[in-house]
Amino acid sequence: MDKQLDLLQGTLDMLILKAVSLGPLHGYGILLRIQQISKDRLEIQQGSLYPALYRLEHQGWITSEWGESENKRKAKYYRLTAAGKRRLLAEADKWNRMTNVIAGILGTKPEEV
Amino acid sequence: MTVCSRFRSWLQATLQRSRMESEMDTELRFHMEAYAEDLVRSGMPRQEAARRARIEFGGIEQTKEECRDMRKVNWIDDVGQDVQYAARMLTKSPGFTVVAMLTLALGIGANTALFSVVNAVLLKPLPFRNPGKVVALWETETAPGSFPLTGEDYLDWRAQNSTFEDMSLYSWQNSYNVSGKDGAEGASVVRTQANFFSLLGVQAQIGRTFATGEDQNGGSHVAVLSDGFWKKHFGAQQEILGKPLELNGESYSVIGVMPAWYRVPGQADIWVPLDMSKDKLGKRGSHNWKAVGRVKDEVAISKALADLRTIAERLEKQFPDNNRNVDAIVTPMREDLVGDLSSQLWVMFGAVGLVLLIACANVANLLLARATSRRQEMAVRGALGAGRGRLARQLLTESVVLSLVSGGFGVVIAYGGVAALKASLPPSMPQPNPVEVGLAPLTFALVTCLAVGILFGLAPALQSSGVDAGETLKSKGSPGGSTTKRGHWLRNTLVAGEIALSLALLIGAGLLLRTFAHLRATEIGVQPANVLTAEVKLPESKYKTFDQRREFVDELLQKLRVSPGVNAAAITTKLPLLGGSNGYIHIPGQDTGSMSGPLVESTSIRGDYFGALRIPLLAGREFEKDDYELTAKFMREVIPAKTDEETKAVVKKYTLRAVINQTMAQTFWPKQNAVGKIFEHFVRLEVVGVVGDVKQGRVRSKAMPEAYYPLEWDLDMPSLSIVVKGDGAAGALAGTVRSAVRSQDANLALMHVRPMAQIITESMTDTTYETVLLGGMAVLALILAAVGIYGVMSYVVGQRTNEIGIRMALGAERGQIVGMVLRQGAAIIGIGIFAGLAGATVGAKLMEGLLVGVKSIDPATYAGVAGMLAAVALLACYLPVRRAMRVDPMIALRYE
Repeated sequence: MDKQLDLLQGTLDMLILKAVSLGPLHGYGILLRIQQISKDRLEIQQGSLYPALYRLEHQGWITSEWGESENKRKAKYYRLTAAGKRRLLAEADKWNRMTNVIAGILGTKPEEV
Repeated sequence: MTVCSRFRSWLQATLQRSRMESEMDTELRFHMEAYAEDLVRSGMPRQEAARRARIEFGGIEQTKEECRDMRKVNWIDDVGQDVQYAARMLTKSPGFTVVAMLTLALGIGANTALFSVVNAVLLKPLPFRNPGKVVALWETETAPGSFPLTGEDYLDWRAQNSTFEDMSLYSWQNSYNVSGKDGAEGASVVRTQANFFSLLGVQAQIGRTFATGEDQNGGSHVAVLSDGFWKKHFGAQQEILGKPLELNGESYSVIGVMPAWYRVPGQADIWVPLDMSKDKLGKRGSHNWKAVGRVKDEVAISKALADLRTIAERLEKQFPDNNRNVDAIVTPMREDLVGDLSSQLWVMFGAVGLVLLIACANVANLLLARATSRRQEMAVRGALGAGRGRLARQLLTESVVLSLVSGGFGVVIAYGGVAALKASLPPSMPQPNPVEVGLAPLTFALVTCLAVGILFGLAPALQSSGVDAGETLKSKGSPGGSTTKRGHWLRNTLVAGEIALSLALLIGAGLLLRTFAHLRATEIGVQPANVLTAEVKLPESKYKTFDQRREFVDELLQKLRVSPGVNAAAITTKLPLLGGSNGYIHIPGQDTGSMSGPLVESTSIRGDYFGALRIPLLAGREFEKDDYELTAKFMREVIPAKTDEETKAVVKKYTLRAVINQTMAQTFWPKQNAVGKIFEHFVRLEVVGVVGDVKQGRVRSKAMPEAYYPLEWDLDMPSLSIVVKGDGAAGALAGTVRSAVRSQDANLALMHVRPMAQIITESMTDTTYETVLLGGMAVLALILAAVGIYGVMSYVVGQRTNEIGIRMALGAERGQIVGMVLRQGAAIIGIGIFAGLAGATVGAKLMEGLLVGVKSIDPATYAGVAGMLAAVALLACYLPVRRAMRVDPMIALRYE
């Protein structure tokens, strides 16, 4: 697939949680990681990342601390909290069930009805 | 955990806002720099990389705002910001602010003041223990209306009921002589059963109220004082208990002082125990006493009434002569105290509410006009990322700030208003609770402010939130190019609404004014000029016998007659307009039954009563010396009579004389000469004369049939009134009358000294009060409406200055232009007046009870008031046009 996909409504939160579950990251790092694991197939509006981060932190799914970046600069690192871990599992589970159902519907052949 | 962390994040955010801001800044900058570095690494020139990074990131400020939103700190922040901004906007346009605030402060102040009265009189629970269970007790009679209780009925009710916790009997307010340092003074005394205060559940502020048994064996000579009397007579001295007090020549000792707020019943100064001995309370058939009852907690008031009615029915069977048609009436205490004043108060409160609505419409219009000139500002804010809701909220904050600050001034006005209202409240206005700007009125003011702020802020907020940013910015917000249809529509509706409301108010005031004029012109039946009245009370202890009292009256009349400046003098048991006593009569040949005969007002007089008050003699003659002597002779014989038989024997021998009024003559002897006719009232009476009608009760009610008897008939009345007519001003006679009474008995106080004219004025105070209050509000409404329409027309004309300039430059006549603008105004005014007339017909129905001599739908009043309002409104339209036409067309053309 060449064209980049727009992010589905409400999935950004889940992606961020997944990204930080693999290890603490700063905001730019999260963006890079999502692009990397999606093999550049997803487009994320850079500015929209931060309100999502602030929301997740406010809800207690992730927490942040200041640290030093790879090139020795001050950066804010986010990591998953215990509550965030549970949240990610629940969201992923819900997502999988949903895609199964939808895939099932879309894969229906005329003779199966 | 999450709640906790949320709170922590909110708290941190709030407390360390500046730290958060700088952190957010660092974080976002880091992001862009890191991205730019990556771009440089991939071969992009550094400058281009930085630019790309910024573009791809998107709106930085918008992102920041969204981040702040996520932390939920914005709410408080926004309100703070909005309030600050609102304050800045308001101080920037002081003219607008002062006008708006003055309008609102007056509206809120007047409403709060009147609400204080409504609250104290109609809403706040009466200051008794469990006030919902306290009721007033009355009886019915054959004649319509409610009657006071008879002593014997009361005792039976109290003994036989099963639904009342207790009942208590008390007397009307009577004037007593109180001996003081500088001679005697008058005080209003109520005699009560000993359980009166404990039944109500009120305590004395100093000392105690009556104890059980103090109403037995003639009644203990103890007295409870009102706070007012304690301050006036005893200078509020603390060592008051046990102090002696001489009432009508008998010594009482003070046992307590009631709190200042306690005012039941009425304006009593002193309470003393009522002698509850059965023989002192009077017989069945003589309705003398007032009573209160406390219904048992678990019993409904309707049940209590049913209980008393069963007892009354039993008594009716037991005493068919005296208790025919005597039934029980149970009235909740508040209704009994407030009576028909509640409708008056609600009308006034409704009216003042309308004034506030008009004020709101005015301020809403001012805000609308301003909102239009602020469209540019709003459009810029919208373009910078402010949501519609956010903009509407800012405008609402502005209007609420405006209304709250105005409300602050309004409360100050309310304090002044309540003081003024209290000073001028009609004496008939019961105040079971003190009228004050307390917690409830202040809460009312606050809620009103918020409601009002939202109400008048809503229109501009709605209008502005629908702004199309692009269009507005393109039109550069020029005043001529940016008005919308919706804006016009809103403004016109508001002005039409204002006109409708003020028309309704003006019509209400007009109807009351006509009522007032009608009452002023009403024939009371007396000529009050140069007539002074006063009251004396002859204490029983000193004036025991009939002849002692008669001698006093004879001598006093003689002294008054020869006093310098006195033309005519009389003594009476009853003055015009002040009510009094009545009794059943029987006319031989017109069979009407014993106690159920026609009811006739009775007044006993001595001296030149008809002459002093110029009551015309229509037929026959006035009383002569012989008539008084005959009655005296009869009384001397009938008073010592012990048994009913002895009394009847005396009664049979006599035919006394009476003078009757015109209504009585026409009622009982229509188309006949009443002189010489006989009627029975305890004794046979012969009509010797017929005089003109005099209003006995309120000015607004009709004259009743009335009979005048020689004073000897009623010499044992507790108080007698003096009537003197002089050459000059009535007030000048006060000294003469006072010294005549003093010279005869220094211990007698002269009470209620006032000119007859004052009695007439006082009897109309409620109407006067209503008229002044409603008239004031109507004038205020008229001014507000005129200002409103002037404001809108100035604005409209201002918008059309350019057009007017072009038209004038092209040779349009002045008249044509004036006509063009006035037509626009007239349409709005016409709709407003039409709606107002419709509203007034409904509103006037509600105040029908206050009107006399004028119908609630009175075409003359309606047309007159509507015409006046239309004229004022058209004038308000014309002024801006005239100003616009004075403008040089060249300037007008450049006005865009």
